[in-house]
Amino acid sequence: MMTDVADGRMRLTVLGGYLGSGKTTWLRHQLHVGTFGPVHVVVNEAAETAVDDALLGGAAGLTLLAGGCCCCAGKADLIRVLRELCDQRSRISSDATRLHRIVLETSGLADPSAIVAAVQGDPILVNHIVIDETIVVVDALHGLAQLQTEPLGRRQIGAADRIILSKCDAADPASLIRLRATLRNLTPAAPQSGAVLGEVVALPLVPEDTEAEVLPPLSDEDTRGAIFPTRLMIDESIDWSAFAMWLSALLHARGNDLVRVKGVLRTPAGRLLLQTVRKVVQSPEILPEQSGEREDGTIVFIGRGFRPEDLYKSLLRFAGQGTKP
Amino acid sequence: MCNACGNPSVPGHWTEAGAATPGDRLRARFHRAGLLDKLLRPYGLSAHDGGMVPGIQLGTLSGSQTIVPDLGALWAEAERLLGRPIDPLDPAFLNDD
Repeated sequence: MMTDVADGRMRLTVLGGYLGSGKTTWLRHQLHVGTFGPVHVVVNEAAETAVDDALLGGAAGLTLLAGGCCCCAGKADLIRVLRELCDQRSRISSDATRLHRIVLETSGLADPSAIVAAVQGDPILVNHIVIDETIVVVDALHGLAQLQTEPLGRRQIGAADRIILSKCDAADPASLIRLRATLRNLTPAAPQSGAVLGEVVALPLVPEDTEAEVLPPLSDEDTRGAIFPTRLMIDESIDWSAFAMWLSALLHARGNDLVRVKGVLRTPAGRLLLQTVRKVVQSPEILPEQSGEREDGTIVFIGRGFRPEDLYKSLLRFAGQGTKP
Repeated sequence: MCNACGNPSVPGHWTEAGAATPGDRLRARFHRAGLLDKLLRPYGLSAHDGGMVPGIQLGTLSGSQTIVPDLGALWAEAERLLGRPIDPLDPAFLNDD
Protein backbone atom coordinates (compact mmCIF):
# COMPACT_ATOMS: atom_id res chain seq x y z
CA MET A 1 0.00 0.00 0.00
CA MET A 2 2.08 2.87 -1.27
CA THR A 3 0.48 6.15 -0.46
CA ASP A 4 1.46 9.30 -2.25
CA VAL A 5 3.84 11.61 -0.51
CA ALA A 6 1.58 14.60 -0.89
CA ASP A 7 2.23 16.58 2.26
CA GLY A 8 6.00 16.13 2.29
CA ARG A 9 6.01 13.95 5.35
CA MET A 10 7.77 10.63 5.53
CA ARG A 11 5.85 7.39 5.59
CA LEU A 12 6.52 5.00 8.44
CA THR A 13 5.61 1.36 8.11
CA VAL A 14 5.61 -0.56 11.37
CA LEU A 15 6.39 -4.24 10.96
CA GLY A 16 5.39 -6.29 13.99
CA GLY A 17 4.74 -9.88 14.89
CA TYR A 18 5.54 -12.39 17.54
CA LEU A 19 9.03 -13.76 18.25
CA GLY A 20 10.16 -15.87 15.33
CA SER A 21 7.10 -15.19 13.23
CA GLY A 22 9.24 -14.37 10.20
CA LYS A 23 9.45 -10.58 10.23
CA THR A 24 13.05 -10.34 9.05
CA THR A 25 12.63 -13.06 6.43
CA TRP A 26 9.63 -11.26 4.98
CA LEU A 27 11.32 -7.86 5.07
CA ARG A 28 14.49 -9.23 3.51
CA HIS A 29 12.53 -10.44 0.52
CA GLN A 30 10.60 -7.17 0.19
CA LEU A 31 13.88 -5.23 0.20
CA HIS A 32 15.27 -7.60 -2.40
CA VAL A 33 12.37 -7.14 -4.81
CA GLY A 34 11.97 -3.44 -3.97
CA THR A 35 8.38 -3.41 -2.70
CA PHE A 36 9.02 -0.31 -0.63
CA GLY A 37 11.38 1.50 -2.99
CA PRO A 38 14.35 3.25 -1.38
CA VAL A 39 13.81 2.82 2.30
CA HIS A 40 15.53 3.35 5.61
CA VAL A 41 15.14 0.36 7.90
CA VAL A 42 15.14 0.64 11.67
CA VAL A 43 15.53 -2.70 13.39
CA ASN A 44 14.78 -3.16 17.06
CA GLU A 45 15.85 -6.20 19.02
CA ALA A 46 14.93 -6.87 22.62
CA ALA A 47 18.17 -8.63 23.42
CA GLU A 48 21.50 -6.90 23.37
CA THR A 49 22.88 -9.00 20.56
CA ALA A 50 21.91 -8.07 17.07
CA VAL A 51 21.50 -10.71 14.42
CA ASP A 52 18.88 -9.27 12.11
CA ASP A 53 20.93 -6.37 10.82
CA ALA A 54 23.35 -8.78 9.16
CA LEU A 55 20.51 -10.10 7.02
CA LEU A 56 19.06 -6.84 5.77
CA GLY A 57 21.58 -5.77 3.16
CA GLY A 58 19.05 -4.41 0.66
CA ALA A 59 18.06 -1.27 2.54
CA ALA A 60 19.22 2.23 1.59
CA GLY A 61 20.04 2.86 5.23
CA LEU A 62 19.89 0.81 8.36
CA THR A 63 19.72 1.73 12.02
CA LEU A 64 19.90 -0.86 14.71
CA LEU A 65 18.29 -0.42 18.10
CA ALA A 66 19.47 -3.24 20.34
CA GLY A 67 19.06 -3.78 24.04
CA GLY A 68 15.51 -2.78 24.76
CA CYS A 69 12.14 -3.28 23.22
CA CYS A 70 11.13 0.06 21.67
CA CYS A 71 7.54 -0.06 22.85
CA CYS A 72 8.68 0.17 26.46
CA ALA A 73 12.31 0.28 27.67
CA GLY A 74 13.77 1.51 24.38
CA LYS A 75 11.12 4.06 23.53
CA ALA A 76 13.35 7.08 24.10
CA ASP A 77 15.99 5.56 21.80
CA LEU A 78 13.45 5.03 19.05
CA ILE A 79 12.21 8.61 19.25
CA ARG A 80 15.83 9.87 19.16
CA VAL A 81 16.66 7.79 16.07
CA LEU A 82 13.54 8.88 14.22
CA ARG A 83 14.22 12.53 15.09
CA GLU A 84 17.74 12.21 13.71
CA LEU A 85 16.37 10.79 10.46
CA CYS A 86 13.96 13.70 10.18
CA ASP A 87 16.80 16.08 10.88
CA GLN A 88 19.02 14.66 8.17
CA ARG A 89 16.19 14.74 5.68
CA SER A 90 15.28 18.32 6.44
CA ARG A 91 18.79 19.40 5.46
CA ILE A 92 18.26 18.20 1.91
CA SER A 93 16.31 20.50 -0.38
CA SER A 94 12.81 19.28 -1.05
CA ASP A 95 13.53 19.41 -4.80
CA ALA A 96 16.19 16.77 -4.47
CA THR A 97 15.53 13.06 -3.96
CA ARG A 98 14.87 12.58 -0.30
CA LEU A 99 14.03 9.68 1.89
CA HIS A 100 10.32 8.94 1.68
CA ARG A 101 9.87 5.86 3.71
CA ILE A 102 11.01 4.27 6.93
CA VAL A 103 10.29 0.68 7.86
CA LEU A 104 10.51 -0.12 11.55
CA GLU A 105 10.96 -3.77 12.32
CA THR A 106 9.89 -4.14 15.94
CA SER A 107 11.18 -6.76 18.30
CA GLY A 108 9.00 -9.82 18.74
CA LEU A 109 8.06 -8.67 22.21
CA ALA A 110 6.74 -5.28 21.13
CA ASP A 111 3.18 -4.09 21.02
CA PRO A 112 2.93 -2.12 17.74
CA SER A 113 0.09 0.05 18.99
CA ALA A 114 2.33 1.44 21.75
CA ILE A 115 4.92 2.40 19.12
CA VAL A 116 2.33 4.07 16.92
CA ALA A 117 1.07 6.00 19.93
CA ALA A 118 4.61 7.07 20.86
CA VAL A 119 5.40 8.35 17.36
CA GLN A 120 2.11 10.17 17.01
CA GLY A 121 2.41 11.66 20.46
CA ASP A 122 5.82 13.20 19.84
CA PRO A 123 5.53 16.91 19.01
CA ILE A 124 8.41 16.86 16.52
CA LEU A 125 7.84 13.55 14.82
CA VAL A 126 4.19 14.18 14.18
CA ASN A 127 5.17 17.00 11.80
CA HIS A 128 7.59 14.82 9.86
CA ILE A 129 6.23 11.32 9.91
CA VAL A 130 2.90 9.78 8.96
CA ILE A 131 2.25 6.23 10.06
CA ASP A 132 1.42 4.50 6.83
CA GLU A 133 0.37 1.11 8.06
CA THR A 134 1.06 -1.51 10.65
CA ILE A 135 1.88 -4.88 9.15
CA VAL A 136 1.81 -7.84 11.50
CA VAL A 137 3.41 -11.12 10.54
CA VAL A 138 1.70 -14.21 11.93
CA ASP A 139 3.31 -17.61 11.99
CA ALA A 140 0.92 -19.98 10.18
CA LEU A 141 2.40 -22.88 12.13
CA HIS A 142 2.32 -21.52 15.69
CA GLY A 143 -0.14 -18.64 15.32
CA LEU A 144 -3.13 -20.36 16.89
CA ALA A 145 -1.16 -21.62 19.87
CA GLN A 146 0.22 -18.13 20.45
CA LEU A 147 -3.22 -16.56 20.28
CA GLN A 148 -4.50 -19.06 22.80
CA THR A 149 -1.79 -18.53 25.37
CA GLU A 150 -0.09 -15.18 24.83
CA PRO A 151 -1.83 -11.88 25.65
CA LEU A 152 0.91 -10.13 23.68
CA GLY A 153 0.13 -12.15 20.55
CA ARG A 154 -3.46 -10.96 20.70
CA ARG A 155 -2.48 -7.33 21.25
CA GLN A 156 -0.24 -7.49 18.18
CA ILE A 157 -3.09 -8.80 16.03
CA GLY A 158 -5.31 -6.07 17.41
CA ALA A 159 -2.85 -3.45 16.17
CA ALA A 160 -2.59 -4.78 12.61
CA ASP A 161 -3.74 -2.93 9.51
CA ARG A 162 -2.58 -5.82 7.37
CA ILE A 163 -1.70 -9.39 8.30
CA ILE A 164 0.92 -11.52 6.58
CA LEU A 165 0.68 -15.23 7.26
CA SER A 166 4.19 -16.59 7.05
CA LYS A 167 5.40 -20.19 6.65
CA CYS A 168 2.21 -21.11 4.79
CA ASP A 169 3.95 -24.08 3.21
CA ALA A 170 4.52 -25.68 6.60
CA ALA A 171 0.93 -25.50 7.86
CA ASP A 172 -1.85 -27.79 6.70
CA PRO A 173 -4.76 -26.10 4.88
CA ALA A 174 -7.38 -27.00 7.51
CA SER A 175 -5.53 -25.33 10.36
CA LEU A 176 -4.64 -22.41 8.11
CA ILE A 177 -8.34 -21.84 7.43
CA ARG A 178 -9.06 -22.02 11.14
CA LEU A 179 -6.31 -19.51 11.87
CA ARG A 180 -7.65 -17.18 9.19
CA ALA A 181 -11.16 -17.33 10.64
CA THR A 182 -9.80 -16.67 14.13
CA LEU A 183 -7.76 -13.70 12.94
CA ARG A 184 -10.73 -12.33 11.05
CA ASN A 185 -12.69 -12.52 14.26
CA LEU A 186 -10.05 -10.49 16.08
CA THR A 187 -9.50 -7.87 13.35
CA PRO A 188 -12.17 -8.08 10.67
CA ALA A 189 -10.78 -5.04 8.85
CA ALA A 190 -7.25 -6.27 8.29
CA PRO A 191 -6.69 -7.98 4.93
CA GLN A 192 -4.70 -11.20 5.11
CA SER A 193 -2.12 -12.45 2.66
CA GLY A 194 0.13 -15.46 2.64
CA ALA A 195 3.89 -15.69 2.27
CA VAL A 196 6.60 -18.31 2.06
CA LEU A 197 10.05 -16.86 2.70
CA GLY A 198 8.64 -13.45 1.83
CA GLU A 199 7.19 -14.51 -1.50
CA VAL A 200 3.44 -14.05 -1.88
CA VAL A 201 1.43 -17.27 -2.01
CA ALA A 202 -2.30 -17.83 -2.32
CA LEU A 203 -4.21 -18.56 0.87
CA PRO A 204 -6.98 -21.13 1.07
CA LEU A 205 -10.42 -19.51 1.04
CA VAL A 206 -12.33 -19.51 4.29
CA PRO A 207 -15.72 -21.23 3.86
CA GLU A 208 -18.65 -19.28 5.31
CA ASP A 209 -19.37 -21.86 8.00
CA THR A 210 -15.83 -22.04 9.41
CA GLU A 211 -15.89 -21.54 13.14
CA ALA A 212 -13.22 -19.40 14.69
CA GLU A 213 -11.19 -20.89 17.48
CA VAL A 214 -12.65 -19.96 20.86
CA LEU A 215 -9.90 -18.09 22.65
CA PRO A 216 -9.78 -18.48 26.41
CA PRO A 217 -9.82 -15.22 28.34
CA LEU A 218 -6.35 -14.20 29.46
CA SER A 219 -5.39 -11.92 32.26
CA ASP A 220 -2.51 -9.60 31.55
CA GLU A 221 -0.44 -11.25 34.23
CA ASP A 222 0.87 -14.49 32.86
CA THR A 223 0.94 -17.23 35.48
CA ARG A 224 3.97 -18.91 33.95
CA GLY A 225 6.17 -15.89 34.52
CA ALA A 226 7.38 -13.34 32.03
CA ILE A 227 9.27 -14.19 28.87
CA PHE A 228 12.79 -12.82 29.16
CA PRO A 229 15.89 -12.79 26.96
CA THR A 230 19.13 -14.45 28.10
CA ARG A 231 22.47 -14.34 26.35
CA LEU A 232 24.80 -17.27 26.30
CA MET A 233 28.41 -16.94 25.19
CA ILE A 234 29.69 -20.07 23.52
CA ASP A 235 33.48 -20.06 23.59
CA GLU A 236 35.88 -22.12 21.51
CA SER A 237 35.89 -25.03 23.96
CA ILE A 238 32.31 -25.94 23.09
CA ASP A 239 32.17 -27.41 19.61
CA TRP A 240 29.15 -27.57 17.33
CA SER A 241 28.46 -31.29 17.96
CA ALA A 242 28.16 -30.78 21.69
CA PHE A 243 26.13 -27.63 21.28
CA ALA A 244 23.72 -29.19 18.77
CA MET A 245 23.31 -32.21 21.00
CA TRP A 246 22.49 -30.03 23.97
CA LEU A 247 20.14 -27.74 22.11
CA SER A 248 18.23 -30.59 20.48
CA ALA A 249 17.69 -32.19 23.91
CA LEU A 250 16.70 -28.85 25.39
CA LEU A 251 14.18 -28.17 22.65
CA HIS A 252 12.76 -31.64 23.00
CA ALA A 253 12.22 -31.20 26.74
CA ARG A 254 11.51 -27.46 26.98
CA GLY A 255 10.49 -26.41 23.47
CA ASN A 256 7.18 -24.93 24.56
CA ASP A 257 8.83 -22.62 27.07
CA LEU A 258 11.74 -21.66 24.84
CA VAL A 259 9.95 -19.45 22.36
CA ARG A 260 13.00 -18.32 20.45
CA VAL A 261 16.69 -19.15 20.10
CA LYS A 262 18.82 -17.14 17.73
CA GLY A 263 22.50 -16.59 17.14
CA VAL A 264 25.59 -17.10 15.04
CA LEU A 265 28.08 -19.87 15.77
CA ARG A 266 31.45 -20.71 14.27
CA THR A 267 31.69 -24.24 12.90
CA PRO A 268 34.12 -26.06 10.59
CA ALA A 269 31.62 -25.31 7.78
CA GLY A 270 31.68 -21.54 8.38
CA ARG A 271 29.55 -19.05 10.28
CA LEU A 272 26.24 -20.70 10.95
CA LEU A 273 23.05 -18.77 11.63
CA LEU A 274 20.85 -20.72 13.99
CA GLN A 275 17.18 -19.93 14.54
CA THR A 276 14.49 -21.84 16.34
CA VAL A 277 10.86 -21.15 17.16
CA ARG A 278 9.55 -23.42 19.90
CA LYS A 279 10.40 -26.94 18.76
CA VAL A 280 11.00 -26.08 15.13
CA VAL A 281 14.55 -25.42 13.97
CA GLN A 282 15.14 -23.63 10.69
CA SER A 283 17.77 -25.35 8.65
CA PRO A 284 20.92 -23.42 9.60
CA GLU A 285 22.14 -20.89 7.10
CA ILE A 286 25.82 -20.36 6.30
CA LEU A 287 26.57 -16.66 6.51
CA PRO A 288 29.28 -14.89 4.52
CA GLU A 289 32.50 -14.17 6.38
CA GLN A 290 32.44 -10.62 7.63
CA SER A 291 35.22 -8.35 8.57
CA GLY A 292 35.05 -6.58 11.87
CA GLU A 293 34.21 -8.22 15.11
CA ARG A 294 30.69 -9.54 14.83
CA GLU A 295 29.34 -11.15 17.92
CA ASP A 296 29.90 -14.72 16.87
CA GLY A 297 29.31 -17.32 19.51
CA THR A 298 26.60 -15.36 21.26
CA ILE A 299 23.26 -17.10 21.32
CA VAL A 300 20.10 -15.38 22.53
CA PHE A 301 17.52 -17.48 24.33
CA ILE A 302 14.07 -15.98 24.81
CA GLY A 303 11.81 -17.98 27.04
CA ARG A 304 10.48 -18.63 30.50
CA GLY A 305 10.50 -21.21 33.23
CA PHE A 306 14.26 -21.53 33.74
CA ARG A 307 17.02 -19.76 35.58
CA PRO A 308 19.42 -17.97 33.23
CA GLU A 309 22.51 -19.30 35.02
CA ASP A 310 21.37 -22.90 34.58
CA LEU A 311 21.67 -22.73 30.80
CA TYR A 312 25.44 -22.55 30.67
CA LYS A 313 25.88 -25.04 33.46
CA SER A 314 23.69 -27.47 31.62
CA LEU A 315 25.58 -26.95 28.37
CA LEU A 316 28.90 -27.64 30.08
CA ARG A 317 27.51 -30.84 31.54
CA PHE A 318 26.46 -31.98 28.10
CA ALA A 319 29.84 -31.17 26.64
CA GLY A 320 31.41 -33.28 29.37
CA GLN A 321 33.10 -30.31 31.02
CA GLY A 322 30.95 -30.02 34.11
CA THR A 323 32.32 -29.97 37.61
CA LYS A 324 31.95 -33.73 37.71
CA PRO A 325 34.06 -35.84 35.33
CA MET B 1 19.58 -41.95 -1.05
CA CYS B 2 20.32 -45.66 -0.86
CA ASN B 3 17.74 -47.50 -2.97
CA ALA B 4 17.96 -50.62 -0.81
CA CYS B 5 17.17 -49.10 2.57
CA GLY B 6 15.88 -45.62 1.71
CA ASN B 7 18.32 -43.85 3.98
CA PRO B 8 18.58 -40.91 4.39
CA SER B 9 14.94 -40.10 3.72
CA VAL B 10 15.49 -36.37 4.21
CA PRO B 11 18.63 -34.32 3.66
CA GLY B 12 20.60 -33.67 6.85
CA HIS B 13 19.10 -32.95 10.24
CA TRP B 14 19.89 -29.43 11.46
CA THR B 15 22.30 -30.76 14.08
CA GLU B 16 24.53 -32.08 11.26
CA ALA B 17 24.96 -28.68 9.61
CA GLY B 18 28.29 -27.85 11.23
CA ALA B 19 30.44 -30.05 8.99
CA ALA B 20 31.00 -29.38 5.30
CA THR B 21 33.40 -32.11 4.16
CA PRO B 22 32.95 -35.90 4.43
CA GLY B 23 35.94 -36.07 6.77
CA ASP B 24 34.48 -33.42 9.07
CA ARG B 25 31.16 -35.18 9.02
CA LEU B 26 32.61 -38.52 10.05
CA ARG B 27 34.72 -36.91 12.76
CA ALA B 28 31.64 -35.09 14.07
CA ARG B 29 29.70 -38.36 14.19
CA PHE B 30 32.37 -40.14 16.24
CA HIS B 31 32.69 -37.19 18.54
CA ARG B 32 28.95 -36.92 18.99
CA ALA B 33 28.59 -40.63 19.74
CA GLY B 34 31.27 -40.37 22.43
CA LEU B 35 29.59 -37.41 24.11
CA LEU B 36 26.17 -39.01 23.86
CA ASP B 37 27.28 -42.29 25.33
CA LYS B 38 28.85 -40.58 28.32
CA LEU B 39 25.71 -38.56 28.86
CA LEU B 40 23.24 -41.42 28.46
CA ARG B 41 25.02 -44.00 30.67
CA PRO B 42 23.65 -42.58 33.95
CA TYR B 43 20.17 -42.94 32.49
CA GLY B 44 20.76 -46.62 31.75
CA LEU B 45 21.10 -46.05 28.01
CA SER B 46 24.00 -46.26 25.61
CA ALA B 47 24.80 -44.70 22.25
CA HIS B 48 27.06 -46.03 19.52
CA ASP B 49 27.95 -44.78 16.07
CA GLY B 50 30.56 -46.77 14.21
CA GLY B 51 30.44 -44.57 11.15
CA MET B 52 29.26 -47.40 8.88
CA VAL B 53 25.58 -47.86 9.67
CA PRO B 54 23.58 -44.67 9.10
CA GLY B 55 22.06 -43.14 12.21
CA ILE B 56 22.84 -43.56 15.87
CA GLN B 57 22.45 -46.86 17.68
CA LEU B 58 20.62 -46.35 20.95
CA GLY B 59 20.76 -49.26 23.37
CA THR B 60 19.54 -50.17 26.81
CA LEU B 61 21.45 -52.04 29.49
CA SER B 62 19.29 -55.10 28.81
CA GLY B 63 20.83 -55.26 25.38
CA SER B 64 18.04 -54.10 23.11
CA GLN B 65 19.06 -51.77 20.31
CA THR B 66 17.28 -49.20 18.18
CA ILE B 67 18.68 -47.24 15.28
CA VAL B 68 17.49 -43.65 15.27
CA PRO B 69 18.11 -41.40 12.24
CA ASP B 70 19.10 -38.22 14.07
CA LEU B 71 19.28 -36.45 17.42
CA GLY B 72 15.68 -35.27 17.24
CA ALA B 73 14.49 -38.87 17.02
CA LEU B 74 17.00 -39.93 19.66
CA TRP B 75 15.54 -37.71 22.37
CA ALA B 76 12.03 -38.86 21.49
CA GLU B 77 13.11 -42.52 21.69
CA ALA B 78 14.96 -41.91 24.97
CA GLU B 79 11.80 -40.35 26.37
CA ARG B 80 9.82 -43.41 25.30
CA LEU B 81 12.31 -45.77 26.96
CA LEU B 82 12.61 -43.77 30.18
CA GLY B 83 9.01 -42.65 30.47
CA ARG B 84 10.11 -39.02 30.81
CA PRO B 85 12.17 -36.66 28.66
CA ILE B 86 15.85 -36.10 29.36
CA ASP B 87 15.64 -32.52 30.56
CA PRO B 88 18.94 -30.63 30.44
CA LEU B 89 17.59 -28.09 32.93
CA ASP B 90 16.37 -30.69 35.41
CA PRO B 91 17.76 -29.66 38.83
CA ALA B 92 18.65 -33.30 39.51
CA PHE B 93 20.78 -33.35 36.37
CA LEU B 94 22.46 -30.04 37.17
CA ASN B 95 23.11 -30.61 40.86
CA ASP B 96 23.99 -34.25 41.24
CA ASP B 97 27.52 -33.56 42.46
